[in-house]
Amino acid sequence: MKTEHFLEKNEIREVTIFKQLVLNDGTLTYGEMLDYLNVSKASLENDLDSITSRLPIFEGQIRLDYDGQQISLYMSDRVSLQQIYRLYLSQSVKIDIINFLFKHQEFSIVQLTQELAISDSSLFRKIKELNTYLKEFNIKIRNGQLHGEELQIRYFYFQFYYYIEDNLTLIRQRSDKQITQAVQSVENFLQVKIAPENRTRLNIWLLISKSRIANKDKKYKQLREQMAPYLKDPLYHKIQVMVLRYFSRYSVEVDEEEAMLHFAFLLAFPILTENDFHEYTLIRDRHAPIASLDTYIVETIIIHYKFRKLPYMLERELYYHLTHIHTRLYFFQGDIEIYEYEEMLAKEKQVIGKNVVSFAHVLLKTSSDKFMRANIEGNSLLKMELLKYISLLAIISFEMTTEIRIGIDLKMDDLYKQTLSQLLILKMRPINGIQVERFKPNKVYDLVLTNEKPKEHTTYKEARVYILSEILSSFDMRNIQAIIQELST
Amino acid sequence: MKVVIIGASFAGIAAALEVRKKHPQATIILLEKQTTLGYIPNGLHLYWDNKIKDLNEARFVTTAQLDNEQIHYHLGVTVKKLNTKQKLVHYQAAENEDIMSYDKLIIAAGSRQLSEKITGSHHESVLKYKRYHEAQAALEKVADSQHITIIGGGQVGIEAADLLRRQEKQVTLIESMDYVLFKYLDQELILPLEEAMLKAGVTLKLRQTVSSIETESEQSVTVHLGNESVITDAVILGVNVRPHLTFLDEQIKLHMDQTIKVDQYLRTSAEDVFAVGDCIQLMFEPGEEREYVPLINNAVRTGIVAAANLLKPSIAFKGSLRTIGTHVFGHYIASTGMTEAESLFTNRAVKTVLQKIKVNSLPNAETVTIKWVYEAESKLLLGAQMISKANILEKINTLALAIQTKQTLEELKQKDYFFQPAYSQMLSTTNPVSWMGERVEEDEN
Repeated sequence: MKTEHFLEKNEIREVTIFKQLVLNDGTLTYGEMLDYLNVSKASLENDLDSITSRLPIFEGQIRLDYDGQQISLYMSDRVSLQQIYRLYLSQSVKIDIINFLFKHQEFSIVQLTQELAISDSSLFRKIKELNTYLKEFNIKIRNGQLHGEELQIRYFYFQFYYYIEDNLTLIRQRSDKQITQAVQSVENFLQVKIAPENRTRLNIWLLISKSRIANKDKKYKQLREQMAPYLKDPLYHKIQVMVLRYFSRYSVEVDEEEAMLHFAFLLAFPILTENDFHEYTLIRDRHAPIASLDTYIVETIIIHYKFRKLPYMLERELYYHLTHIHTRLYFFQGDIEIYEYEEMLAKEKQVIGKNVVSFAHVLLKTSSDKFMRANIEGNSLLKMELLKYISLLAIISFEMTTEIRIGIDLKMDDLYKQTLSQLLILKMRPINGIQVERFKPNKVYDLVLTNEKPKEHTTYKEARVYILSEILSSFDMRNIQAIIQELST
Repeated sequence: MKVVIIGASFAGIAAALEVRKKHPQATIILLEKQTTLGYIPNGLHLYWDNKIKDLNEARFVTTAQLDNEQIHYHLGVTVKKLNTKQKLVHYQAAENEDIMSYDKLIIAAGSRQLSEKITGSHHESVLKYKRYHEAQAALEKVADSQHITIIGGGQVGIEAADLLRRQEKQVTLIESMDYVLFKYLDQELILPLEEAMLKAGVTLKLRQTVSSIETESEQSVTVHLGNESVITDAVILGVNVRPHLTFLDEQIKLHMDQTIKVDQYLRTSAEDVFAVGDCIQLMFEPGEEREYVPLINNAVRTGIVAAANLLKPSIAFKGSLRTIGTHVFGHYIASTGMTEAESLFTNRAVKTVLQKIKVNSLPNAETVTIKWVYEAESKLLLGAQMISKANILEKINTLALAIQTKQTLEELKQKDYFFQPAYSQMLSTTNPVSWMGERVEEDEN
């Protein structure tokens, strides 16, 4: 599921216009925009007019100029694309439906058509559309209720309120002393400290849980099966005690599975600090599915990069993130793609190289095979987890690359020497894991670039020497990169 | 003034008697679903304990008392619907539906012992005996059964286990927490009781939750929990009670747990409608978070407070310390206020002291283990728990009063008391002086 799925077709186009302008320095010709959107000129004009009618709310901070030839965007320093998205989302009927469903748990068609001021048929159409997107979460709206496994319902609401809907409003409206106290109780009972940024997540989760608690027919079939290896887990036990005690103070007959829901959530999202999580890894059952996959993946990474051993703290960090990834793959279905997957992937490839991306694919295949997750085309959960693997591998390669010191020693007239060395340095700067400067005789280098064969064997001491054929040529650059790669592994 | 009270159990009766005292001219009408009046919930335990000869003796009020106070009562009446705007109660008596108007309404509809989660728990072979007719049925069923499974290790469950073991029944007790009576006692205090239960031959199944109960025949019931099951002759449902309020209208706002929202004067969100007893949440003390504490002591006290506030808000409810006392498996157990485990739900930093003290000055004196829970900085007493083979039950009331009147441990050390060597030590048990008796452990967290 994507954020734009909450919008109508024309709204998606309008948002795309903004985005294209931002990506292209604020100005595009009609021709370029038409090519991109693949619509008629009249329809583009319509979209631009519609955008203009929405902009007054920004009080001049955003302006769109168009004259039939060119489209230009002006944005003040204080607004961002994010706020434009938010404007469109805040007017989305589909979001209103989800909000209403969350608030009332149940609706009748009459109630909802009145509330949203839309016709029966358009309501039915929107619900139908929503259901096609909810499918990957394995939940659906039927008879005015959200149906599906309880864990999936809460997970969907969580993703929705954390990423799509304005969660500050939700917290302001619904969070009360009881919720603040509940967050505190989680800290007390689990003997952990919850960092401020994680507190928001927990807050939203507990709000969702509170509103779901009175719901009469919750389903846990899958969850019970998934929890089978975790019934003796020490963290689960602590959660169980907390949940039983908490609800014993109210007139609520709590399901045994309530604690299971919280267990899955606490491990799938960054709620515990890395430190508290580490304490847990010391006592958890290493043979349980998530922990054993964590270990397997860590070993795969170590072998792949031919590391002898990872630094202790890096390994801890790795386990922390891997457990989040694997817990999600283990318990949850579906996801909301908060980042444009293809774009992110393209960016990552540029920055950290193709090899990392393809290795991340291997890791994802390993883990999804292990948990028997079918890789259906367009599975958002797998897409997002792939991005996480990639980021994690990037962290490792940043941490593990030893910096290669490169000296540039050009033999030519001083004026040229200075300019060309500078140009060469600029050209090499984007390469990761290197430190490049003009050669200084008293320093030690791993690699020296020069344009003449050194007169003596010892000129560059132990450094490897590369003699440039044609300074700044792509031929040389490719060779240099290959040497760097070789030196860094 | 016409005061209608829905429910004639402890809360309703207390409210009625207090209204009569405050308003001699008022018309007071009690509407009660049951066909008999004033049965003490779980009076069956008194019968099993041979404290009464007939279930019928378990009554806390008689029709004669009510007649004497000119309090009208309609038994066997089911309230169907409220209309709080027009101040009407729709009800059904026998086959007839009728409507009654009111000036003031007190909802004291009580609670029931039912599980919506355990499938099969509605079956009649699954015994609940809070009410008189249920108790009659349970009495017969238990007499015919050899093996009885109790679901829930609260006060009702533990008392039932004790009484049934004394009748030589085989007893299995299932509790979803790690230990029994967890609402009232911290785990270290419960150890002697659990030992006594095991010694008495009770099969304890802790940290297990019942999912379903299957009734195969008159004499055989299967209780499913996790991956195992227990085959038994009869089941006693000792789970938490909950209100069952199907007749409210939209004016009356509810909490997340379906209890009625009331202010400190026990007024609901509908005008001239009050709610008391097991229908509402109570706070530990004014200003604290509310909890559901369905105890008779609270029912009676809220009934009295609501009656006092009928015309104008004058007395605020002081709060509930969840004070309990009981005698099970040879141990007297009492608790009031906050437990250490429960303090994790609050922002208060608490400290605790565990003491073992002789109850009198005689050579073979019994001891009482007492746990003090107090606020770390101010030393304000927040809670106390006791377990002993001697009858120390009445002492808990002293400590409840100490908490209600905000005494610190220092102040309690100076509490006045009587000395009589056969009944007390140098100091009274409830004077927390550290050199009295053996200090078992001190928690400095």
